Amino acid sequence: MDLIVNRVSVYYGDKVGIKDACVEAKKEEIIGFIGADGAGKSSLMFAIAGVKRFKGEIIYENYAYHSPKEAEKIKDKLGFMPQGIGLVLYPDLTVDEHLDFFSDIRELKRDEEYWRYRQRLLKMAGLAEFTDRLAKNLSGGMKQKLSLICTLIHRPKLLLLDEPTTGVDPISRQELWEILDENRKKEKSISLVSTAYMSEASKMDRLYLFDDQEIIASGTEKELIDMARDYTYEETECEEGCITFNKRTYSLRPLNAKKAEPTLESLFFVNALKKNKIPPPIQIEPREQKIEIPPIVMEARGLTKRFGDFVADDHIDMVLRRREIVGLLGANGAGKTTFIKMLLGLYPIDEGELYLLGKKISSPEDRQELKSKIGYMSQLFALYKDLTIYENLVYFAKMHGLGMEKALHRIEKLSKGLGFDKYINEFPKDVPLGIKQRFSLAAAILHEPVVLFLDEPTSGVDTVARAQFWKLLHQLKEKWDISILITTHYMSEAEYCDRVVVLKRGRKIADDTPQNLLKRFPNAKSFEEVFLELYKESE
Amino acid sequence: MKIGVIKAYMLKEFKDLIRSRMIFLVYIMPTLILVMFGYGIKLEVKHSRLIILDHDKSELSYTLINRFEHSKYFNTKVLDITENEALRMIKAAKADIILIIPQSFEKRIFHKDKTEIGAFIDGAFPLRAMTMQSYVQGVVYSMIRDLMERYHIRIKKIEINYRNLFNQSLRDENAIVPGLIGLVLLVAPAILAALLIVKEKEKGTIFNFYSSPVKKSDFLIAKLTPVFLLHSVNIFILLLWALYLFKVPFRGEFWIYWLTSEIYILISLSIGLLVSIVTNRQIVAVILTVIITVIPGFLYSGILMPISSMSKEAYIEAHLFPVMYYNHIIYDTFLIGQGFEAQKNLLYLLILIFYAALLFIIGSALLKKELK
Ligand SMILES: Nc1ncnc2c1ncn2[C@@H]1O[C@H](COP(=O)(O)OP(=O)(O)OP(=O)(O)O)[C@@H](O)[C@H]1O
Ligand SMILES: [Mg+2]
Repeated sequence: MDLIVNRVSVYYGDKVGIKDACVEAKKEEIIGFIGADGAGKSSLMFAIAGVKRFKGEIIYENYAYHSPKEAEKIKDKLGFMPQGIGLVLYPDLTVDEHLDFFSDIRELKRDEEYWRYRQRLLKMAGLAEFTDRLAKNLSGGMKQKLSLICTLIHRPKLLLLDEPTTGVDPISRQELWEILDENRKKEKSISLVSTAYMSEASKMDRLYLFDDQEIIASGTEKELIDMARDYTYEETECEEGCITFNKRTYSLRPLNAKKAEPTLESLFFVNALKKNKIPPPIQIEPREQKIEIPPIVMEARGLTKRFGDFVADDHIDMVLRRREIVGLLGANGAGKTTFIKMLLGLYPIDEGELYLLGKKISSPEDRQELKSKIGYMSQLFALYKDLTIYENLVYFAKMHGLGMEKALHRIEKLSKGLGFDKYINEFPKDVPLGIKQRFSLAAAILHEPVVLFLDEPTSGVDTVARAQFWKLLHQLKEKWDISILITTHYMSEAEYCDRVVVLKRGRKIADDTPQNLLKRFPNAKSFEEVFLELYKESE
Repeated sequence: MKIGVIKAYMLKEFKDLIRSRMIFLVYIMPTLILVMFGYGIKLEVKHSRLIILDHDKSELSYTLINRFEHSKYFNTKVLDITENEALRMIKAAKADIILIIPQSFEKRIFHKDKTEIGAFIDGAFPLRAMTMQSYVQGVVYSMIRDLMERYHIRIKKIEINYRNLFNQSLRDENAIVPGLIGLVLLVAPAILAALLIVKEKEKGTIFNFYSSPVKKSDFLIAKLTPVFLLHSVNIFILLLWALYLFKVPFRGEFWIYWLTSEIYILISLSIGLLVSIVTNRQIVAVILTVIITVIPGFLYSGILMPISSMSKEAYIEAHLFPVMYYNHIIYDTFLIGQGFEAQKNLLYLLILIFYAALLFIIGSALLKKELK
């Protein structure tokens, strides 16, 4: 074994990050870390990367280290990308300057081979045309990919990637896996990769399943899936002790139903059952205030946004109806976030017309009275770091002019309904991503809006939490007649939408129901393939 | 030491400083503090309550009183009370200035004898007091100048005897401006140094340092050198303001001012480094730095109060902070010019060097390449 992690524990004060983790890996292996949000994957990565104190022992290529200080010796072989979009980037440096910087601090020789590799990385990341763009002007996924190629530039022998594909589009994800594969063969490197995309598990040699600050299982993808086999049934009615999601029902007690083929995601549901962590049924209550909602909630005609010569959104038409969930899909940098920001008035509209709730928007004043009818959740959670979750929610409620009593009542209802009530007094940075996402949503719907704009609300969120989230969205639609425009890079989620709009390089290339699109490409096995076909088609 | 690594880091730092416009702060803040506080001294004080005790009651004393009465700066009252009563009025905050014209003031002037006008000024607010003092001075001088022209007499030397009540050490702006330089050069580099490190901690880019083989010492050099270089320029800018805007004399040697200031900046940098170790947020870093530099910078600089007249505890505290040592040398170079011929200055310089080394060593020992 070339990497041995021997009973490693990480603590944050008296809080446990990960306890007694054991991991082994050989050269050329790609090891996957999977598990619910906050299960301890990042903590273990910190320990192995030698950036956080830990108990236990880590042996890499026969060199044992027990502290960050001792880990200094392996750092020239190490490549570590922590979790968080654009976390390790400098907003005011360009793409090229980042690569220069990361190459310089690793003292890389600039030979022909180097430039060839660098160019390849840039191509893979889709950044080759944007080498002069400042990091702060990149889209979320582009930032993520830039961080990734900065980590790969020195061809690390021990690669630690903490959710590198979060927010990355399907096309780039494919290319990324090619590069990882090439890197391991060429450099004989060990890669430890955590991911929230279970479809990526098939690319890994072995998986470790994390739960509740422990590693609870390990094995190949097939071995892990088999663990869920006994508990997976076809969708059926079931009263207690079971979870139903995506055409399957999971139960520890035998059910009177046909068994179904489990997937890796099934394992998460089964595990939640085993730990008796069945997510509480979400119960959205009817609106406290009844309102009239027009049949067309939002209409964009030829909306255009330019940044200098660059056209981020090019004459986009779109309609959002009452009680409709529309998925806005597209590769990184396709212009999704920019579009939503135009709808919200966060970016001025360069060209085109916008109607919100039947009203033409031509000045900021027009928006003023609509504010209370719109909910927004941004790609980079806009939470106040110095306020607890509870305080954040109270703050948002106040901002929307809710009375204190009403606010507290709704906060309590939502925090229970969304299952984050036990975290409510913690600071945003101390809670798992899935929890952050849930309470960001709570903040966005506290004032009972009519329309919701959600920018990648599920990126990096674990399977169970995502399932919960979608159930919630559907309930909001049913009970509140709410309309939702949502962006996502999980192509499977497209199928939960009533309609999808696909953007490519700022242009709309498709606008149809998922069912129709699936019909259009009969050979596609999943929506992901439909997406790839659509992109290919419009070449 | 890996020059390439340091260079790369420093280049990044400079680009960042310039593009994030922080560079303006580096050059505007120190000048702003100096000019703001420096002008604070010159700020007009109108309608100070002036009480004149005229023991002479001559034509000349009336002329003088008349001049005060016609100045917008004073609300003049001529009272027939004793000196003690007048002083009590200052204490009760019913008057700001007391001017005492002695008996046979006129006679003595025309006989070219020595004479004194007594002026008592409320020193509760030193800057205000200083301004009032200069106004009194101005009125008296201008009258005397007129006298000389009118009567063709020569008055060789006029002395105005001031007693600043409650704060006997009040100095003129010549002394305040160098003191302010000591304050600015302590605060500004410390803030910038702390920010450069804490910024990376707050954003997350610090991981690039934690997880790379970059040495701690190289990181520190790369972070602190830009601050050092940028603020070294401020040493000159501040000197120019002092000399040309505030017309402070410069009697010592330039290289002493320069050398001492550079060492002083090193101390400031190290304070910033220490702050960056205990904080994770930029805003906290700024506030903390301001608290630990501005307060001693003001209190123990000798601006508000001469060190010698401090209470014993304060006296010891003043000697614990580097400000006092720096200011001593700076006052000397501006106003006196003894330089290192005075043993004390040399000793103080050595103390400053010791400070810089000590703080830097503590700071770099406490800096860890790991998350807290
Ligand atoms: N302020 C800006 N200046 C220049 N270019 C910008 C600016 N903001 C965004 N862009 C560019 O506009 C394009 C669209 O960005 P946008 O954030 O809308 O993408 P996105 O579809 O949301 O991508 P992702 O899936 O990665 O979040 C990108 O190429 C981005 O670099
Ligand atoms: Mg986006």
